Amino acid sequence: MSEPAILVENVAFDYPRGVRALDGIDLRIDGGERVVVVGQNGSGKSTLVRQFNGLLRPTAGSVSINGRPIGRRHVADLAREVGLAFQNPDRQIFAGTVRAEVAFGPRNLGLGETERDAAVERALATVGLAGDEATNPYDLGFSRRKLLALGSILAMETPIVILDEPTTGQDARGIERVQRIVADLSAAGRTVIAVSHDMRFVAESFERVVVMRAGRIVLDGTPAEAFAEAAWPALASTYLEPPLAARVGARLGLGATPTEASLVGALTTRATAGR
Amino acid sequence: MIDAHRPGVVPGFVLRPPTGSYHALNPSTKLVLAFAEAAVAFGVRGWTGPLVVIAIVIATATAARVGRSLVPFALAVIPLVASILLVNTFLFPGATDVIARIGPLAPTWTGLEAALQATLRVAAFALSVAVFALTTPTDDLLADLERRGLGRRGVFVIGAAIGMIPRMVERASEITDSQRARGLDTEGSRWRRIRGVVPLAAPMIIGALSEVEERTMALEARAFSAPGRRTILRPLPDSAWQRIVRWVAGLGAIILVAASVAGLLPVP
Amino acid sequence: MRDARYAYAGTSRQVLAGVDLDVEAGRVVAVVGPNEAGKSTLCLVAAGLAPIAIGGRLEGSVLLAGDETAGLAAYQAAQRCGILFQNPATQLSGTTSTVWEEIAFGPRNLGLDIGAIVERVEGAMATLDIAGLADRDPQRLSGGQAQLVALASVLALRPSLLVLDEPTSQLDPAGTRLVGDALGRFAADNGTAVLLVEHKTGLVARIADEVAVLVGGRIVEHGPTAEILRDPALAEHGVDPPPAVRIERAVAAAGRSGDLAGLDLAALEVDPIAGAPRPTGAPLPTGARA
Repeated sequence: MSEPAILVENVAFDYPRGVRALDGIDLRIDGGERVVVVGQNGSGKSTLVRQFNGLLRPTAGSVSINGRPIGRRHVADLAREVGLAFQNPDRQIFAGTVRAEVAFGPRNLGLGETERDAAVERALATVGLAGDEATNPYDLGFSRRKLLALGSILAMETPIVILDEPTTGQDARGIERVQRIVADLSAAGRTVIAVSHDMRFVAESFERVVVMRAGRIVLDGTPAEAFAEAAWPALASTYLEPPLAARVGARLGLGATPTEASLVGALTTRATAGR
Repeated sequence: MIDAHRPGVVPGFVLRPPTGSYHALNPSTKLVLAFAEAAVAFGVRGWTGPLVVIAIVIATATAARVGRSLVPFALAVIPLVASILLVNTFLFPGATDVIARIGPLAPTWTGLEAALQATLRVAAFALSVAVFALTTPTDDLLADLERRGLGRRGVFVIGAAIGMIPRMVERASEITDSQRARGLDTEGSRWRRIRGVVPLAAPMIIGALSEVEERTMALEARAFSAPGRRTILRPLPDSAWQRIVRWVAGLGAIILVAASVAGLLPVP
Repeated sequence: MRDARYAYAGTSRQVLAGVDLDVEAGRVVAVVGPNEAGKSTLCLVAAGLAPIAIGGRLEGSVLLAGDETAGLAAYQAAQRCGILFQNPATQLSGTTSTVWEEIAFGPRNLGLDIGAIVERVEGAMATLDIAGLADRDPQRLSGGQAQLVALASVLALRPSLLVLDEPTSQLDPAGTRLVGDALGRFAADNGTAVLLVEHKTGLVARIADEVAVLVGGRIVEHGPTAEILRDPALAEHGVDPPPAVRIERAVAAAGRSGDLAGLDLAALEVDPIAGAPRPTGAPLPTGARA
């Protein structure tokens, strides 16, 4: 078996004021998986993903990336393997043009000019900003700035990509684009980890859901498992609710139907089976 | 649950009544007294000034029941005091009355006397500021200044500036995290760290400016620029005799200091 | 609003390009549309903040309780129209130590007497059911709680119109639920006119009487909620219909509509899960980030 992309072993994390934000976390994520971490604010989900690129270091336990323990590696070094797109693009954008902003990451990684330009172009195309290379980022609206921030991470072409609340503040088209990006990244073999509280996005775009509460993992399974009726109390304990499709499926006795597609599928299957 | 909240009146946790007669003095009175004490402590030559101030401050603190809380303030001045003692005792220029010779060092009595006086001044100043801080909530001081004409904008600026610091720290740390995640090296050589200035400073400035705009709109939406005076929720009583005390203390301090500087004050 | 056109200061592009919109007392009008359609600008123009507080060029007519906004002072507009933005943190003054004082901020600014202030603060807290937060530090509240406090502090000015610019977009599910429920109760009981800009069409379906679709600075559709949210053309405008409508359509497309007979999907969406804790009151653990 090949090395996991991310291996978290018995990790605990305490903030300087003594608040225990992570407690006894064991998690294994294999290359190419699409995983999403959910939970209310304060459950530890953002704290957890920041352990993956070294921004936070465990108080106990260890984190390994692609088989190597993180140890004392610098964040700038880990950025070659793990890209983290933050929730608020305005806490990151500093350049005068879209192109310069996206080129920042690859430049820091020391890519040569041709390689860098190519990576930037690919990233801009992926996020739909190909025609806006010379635009000032603040002339774009918020949702396109958010895509710009995502693009600046994609340009670094890291094998592991982490997205912190990628759909918050996005309109319908923006969300569709994010979903397509997640699918494309996964198809290209990259590992995608997201933090989200948009349950429909969670159910539709990911194959694995990790539910956190008070610094612990309370549930780890497929969307069908995570949104099945048996799991609802665990979700509710961290103030999450299953998507409507799952509720309808449960009410109609169809088993777990986390997405609209699975609901329709289950209804059709039941109908044909009934004949 | 709010325990003692009766509908129809301003609740106790908003009124926050003062807990003692010194606390109940008008904030401006306490402020003027603190200034007067500080002026006398530093401005009056000799031992009397600082000693009298220390005596007054300790008496006030005891009466206001904040005596024990002075201890951390007293401890905080120890590093400064220690350096004053050392520098003055060992290195006082022109002193010849040596206490003892310890190798190359020659502490002098003159130096020691100067050092102890300086220590008393620092202690007097620190303790008088401490008593003021311990008996005067910031809210009350700002409310009183507003009543006396500082205006709602001045008060808001001061109050908001204090609250702004933790927010700015938090924003700075998130910006730093974002840029580090894109490979900005904040742990490497100095040259690499200098290159990080623009990516760290620019979002900070842009963010601060756009926050100003949002906050301004929120203030306007709460009628901040309405004319006239704001209603005071907590009455801060003042009285004629407090006004007299302020004038006497203020002028008295000035006179004492002037007299001392002019050499007219015959006290040790 | 009649033929309202607005450009921000220092720009020439008209973000609003001729908007006609009325919001009547007791009605909730929702505005949906893609990002950058001008929805936030619409909110600022409706509240009078544009142009009074932020400048810019306003043409056409915008009346708040009968008076043109351009002729009002900011504090007068604030008493006719309350506005709530997305970010709870920037709406709290940061200068008060209790929620009660935060809500009293506005009435104090107007110089009202103590009795009137107490009445307004208590009224606002009762309307949103947040009396339990009265003695808390406003800086230590959860996102949803902070939004409710910000809302209470504008309601304390007793405006006849309330404008909400994506009030839940930066909140987690607990906060969204908290604010959504409070708005639902508010809309039902109150005579205040409400203009709500929202992406979450599920929330719109629950509380709005009418829906207007804003695209490119113009209103392209406007009608009763059920009608607009069911309109198949909605998706072309970049707006997601509510989950209930999407599921009904998907099921109908597969020919299984009968299976949903008797199910009230909209009600099912907000059905509380047995044993779920109510998201009020519990403060965030200090120092914790999400």
